[in-house]
Amino acid sequence: MPKLLIVVEHRRGTVKDTTFELVTLARQLADTSGLEPAAAVVGHQVGAIADTLARYVPRVVVVDAEPLAHFRYETHAAVLRDILEAEAPFLTLAPHTAFGMELFPRLSVESGRPCATDCIGVEVEGPELSVVRSVYSGKIRSRATLAPAAGYLATVRSGSYPVASEAGGAGAVEQRPCPAFPTPLRTEHLGYREEEATAVDVSQAPLIVAVGRGIKDADNIPQAQALADRLGAVLACSRPVVDKKWLEKERQVGTSGRTVKPKAYLALGISGAFQHMAGIKGSGVLIAVNKDPKAPIFGAADYGVVEDMFKIMDALKAEAGA
Amino acid sequence: MQILVCVKRVPDTADAEVVLQPDGSGIKEEDLAFGINEWDNYAVEEAILLKEAHGGTVTVATLGSSESEDVLRRCLAMGADEAVRVDDASFGDADPYVVARGMAAVVAKGAYDLVLTGALSGDHGFGMVGPVLAGYLGRPHATLVTSVVPDGSHVRVTRELEGGLEETLRLELPAVLTIQTGINEPRYVSIMGIRKVRAKEIPILDAAALGLAPADIGAQAKRIVHRGLSAPPAGRSAEMLKGTPAEIARKILDILRERGGMA
Ligand SMILES: Cc1cc2nc3c(=O)[nH]c(=O)nc-3n(C[C@H](O)[C@H](O)[C@H](O)COP(=O)(O)OP(=O)(O)OC[C@H]3O[C@@H](n4cnc5c(N)ncnc54)[C@H](O)[C@@H]3O)c2cc1C
Ligand SMILES: Nc1ncnc2c1ncn2[C@@H]1O[C@H](COP(=O)(O)O)[C@@H](O)[C@H]1O
Repeated sequence: MPKLLIVVEHRRGTVKDTTFELVTLARQLADTSGLEPAAAVVGHQVGAIADTLARYVPRVVVVDAEPLAHFRYETHAAVLRDILEAEAPFLTLAPHTAFGMELFPRLSVESGRPCATDCIGVEVEGPELSVVRSVYSGKIRSRATLAPAAGYLATVRSGSYPVASEAGGAGAVEQRPCPAFPTPLRTEHLGYREEEATAVDVSQAPLIVAVGRGIKDADNIPQAQALADRLGAVLACSRPVVDKKWLEKERQVGTSGRTVKPKAYLALGISGAFQHMAGIKGSGVLIAVNKDPKAPIFGAADYGVVEDMFKIMDALKAEAGA
Repeated sequence: MQILVCVKRVPDTADAEVVLQPDGSGIKEEDLAFGINEWDNYAVEEAILLKEAHGGTVTVATLGSSESEDVLRRCLAMGADEAVRVDDASFGDADPYVVARGMAAVVAKGAYDLVLTGALSGDHGFGMVGPVLAGYLGRPHATLVTSVVPDGSHVRVTRELEGGLEETLRLELPAVLTIQTGINEPRYVSIMGIRKVRAKEIPILDAAALGLAPADIGAQAKRIVHRGLSAPPAGRSAEMLKGTPAEIARKILDILRERGGMA
């Protein structure tokens, strides 16, 4: 049976949910296309992680060695090349995160396997791999196939598949030796840098008013802050607002910012990119105001308003009274 | 430091209506505004900052038709020293692998210590050209870079991970870095600035000039084969609140009071 290999994303002893989303996709492909799922755990002191994965998939391949303690594409690609040669999987998956983005395009070149990144759908069509991607600001779907090859790589957007539950039963865990690395290695991991704790904590806020690029200018931020104050809400934002230094980084919601879970989230001038939406998954009611009726955020919101956000902000201030 | 920055011309689609060609082969471009890919703007700024601090040169390169020239001129106006445009009919509708082949050939013609690309392009968003290019060149790479500090024969970078976490890496030069938004504050480009570089010659390199054979860049070199575009499935959608701004505001406030716990 052709194999499907999930490359497990983990850091500092924790497996990311993104990996368990891939398990769901793997099970679907096992049902529809007869692929046989397995997981690859590459790292150091990863026994517990391998055991966890064994509760989800029938086979886990482990390479455990000291130089693999911190993820680097250079060492991980060497290990995975070795695994791909031995296992010859038809399809190898990783999440489309800082991990998958760093590793898979490079592994594609080094293993000679074509790769599609940021897929929201993956299907097997006979000997071919067909993928669906979201393009042009989430407004269009694109379908592509990978050039015929013995094996394919794909990275999958987070949230495209639900997180899997345990399979019940324990899969086999197989250790593989660590291959020799090219010497000298040309990349070195020096450490992690955590964001400093600050005064604002959007993650605990029960009510959030969030502004996106639609706020247009730094001069308009005080208006948004005044509205948030009036409603008793905390002001948050999408990434471009932080990139432009209009608001502090700790107010950014999304994959590279904070995860929030307010009872209500009022999004003003935010398009609904998946990196932003991933940060508000746990929220209660989502109200989106956007002047573009085709903005993807309306596909996720509970309530939508197609209108100029500044008109709505003014009206909200007026109607909320003093 | 000699730096090459790969840049791409892309349509602004966040704010605009995107209309499909009837056959789904592409989108209608007539009514869209095009400009430099957002990530590439940060990459060009970073290259210029490095040049200003440590000396050297900045070259910008794109693979694209003559319409991309405006983007290159904009980069020259920002402070890039040279620009080159790679253009050849055989590139066709280039996928990231073909773009990377073209850029690798440009790199091979120079002596670049650092190649910068954007972390991804705003139209198709593969995030592949940088690391694939590094693979073709056999050079170290780092993606999603949020700071760059030269360190002798090496470079120290931070990479963005998630949730505000970053990692610090040290890479041997020459290297390829993909630049994430927010790394700097790209400078403003004035009309005057663009006028000043109007006459600057931008060489066009075709496949022959780059020593590329059809097998490297033609249809058979593509690894990602485009099968067509479609509108997203309708799926679930929000309940739309309608009325005057005041009416809508009252409805929003009702929802916030009932379900948002607003006082
Ligand atoms: C690795 C990585 C990590 C990322 N992490 C994050 C993250 O953590 N958080 C995050 O938010 N993004 C993140 N991003 C960026 C993300 O991909 C999007 O670019 C970003 O979320 C877009 O922000 P936006 O919706 O504010 O802007 P845009 O997509 O530009 O949308 C602006 C919206 O405002 C609307 N608008 C404009 N003017 C008005 C007006 N007057 N009234 C009403 N509506 C108006 C427009 O119609 C448009 O829909 C990340 C990207 C990458 C590659
Ligand atoms: N046609 C092109 N010409 C030059 N550089 C490009 C081109 N397409 C993509 N790039 C570079 O590769 C980066 C990532 O693009 P992509 O892999 O398409 O998401 C962009 O930010 C650019 O720096």
